[in-house]
Amino acid sequence: MTFDEIINGHLWAVRYEGEQDNVLYNLFDHWNDVVWLRSFFKQNKKDVVSYFKIEDINQAIKDTIDDGEHLERLMMDVSLMTNLDTLFRPLDNSRMSESVLSKEKARPHYILRHVSWLRIYAIKLASDVYIITGGAIKLTATMQEREHTRRELVNMEKVRSFLLNERIIDEDGFLDFINEIR
Amino acid sequence: MKNTIEKLREHASATSSQWREEAESRAANRSWLRYSQNIAMLMLDKMEQTGMTQKQLAEKMKCSQQYVSKILKGKENLSLETLSKIEEALDLHLLSAVTVSA
Repeated sequence: MTFDEIINGHLWAVRYEGEQDNVLYNLFDHWNDVVWLRSFFKQNKKDVVSYFKIEDINQAIKDTIDDGEHLERLMMDVSLMTNLDTLFRPLDNSRMSESVLSKEKARPHYILRHVSWLRIYAIKLASDVYIITGGAIKLTATMQEREHTRRELVNMEKVRSFLLNERIIDEDGFLDFINEIR
Repeated sequence: MKNTIEKLREHASATSSQWREEAESRAANRSWLRYSQNIAMLMLDKMEQTGMTQKQLAEKMKCSQQYVSKILKGKENLSLETLSKIEEALDLHLLSAVTVSA
């Protein structure tokens, strides 16, 4: 895997092996592709109906495009002045303490028709430095429940392991990691 | 921290990302993209109802299957000629608000 610098030293996106561009490109490409979205919502129709009470697939597509537009604008507006620690939140809502290379998420916070199902996932390299590892349309309460969200957890772990193996972590962080696994 | 960023830069991608250009283009073309996406949804509904494949639609519209595939993604800036061909091929009324007197 390689890394694309989205905002100078501040925000990065992973480009996985065999991919032409990074995850940010792929995510927003999918979230604006009617064929891709239709196929996704057909496969996950039960979840859209049971969790969001949306029966019409075209409505689900439109909601995704609207929320995607909002989230993409948030990403485009990120500058060196942006405090990324306010954009990203711990992946685990109940996490109480900081950990090394922690898993994080970002989502649109405005509510148009319903709470947004879009997520962008990242690893926090340091305060205000994040690496985007992927994203998903999350329709269930937990990520473990569906294959496409489980895959995002695997990707986050892969990126985390890569960073640790390559020692792309500050020395204090590395010592903290050693203490974590002891 | 500077050292960590430098280490990450050693693993930078060989080519630059097109994400920002695409995002800017999506924002600038938002208005017609919404029409294009809505038309794609109507087309896909009709194709599903009638069991028409992309290949059959391409033959009816006298264009390539690749072009039909692009239209269905909802990312094409469709000309009036193409819209008219879609209407005819799928028996859809996309331009019904515009009446043409003979």
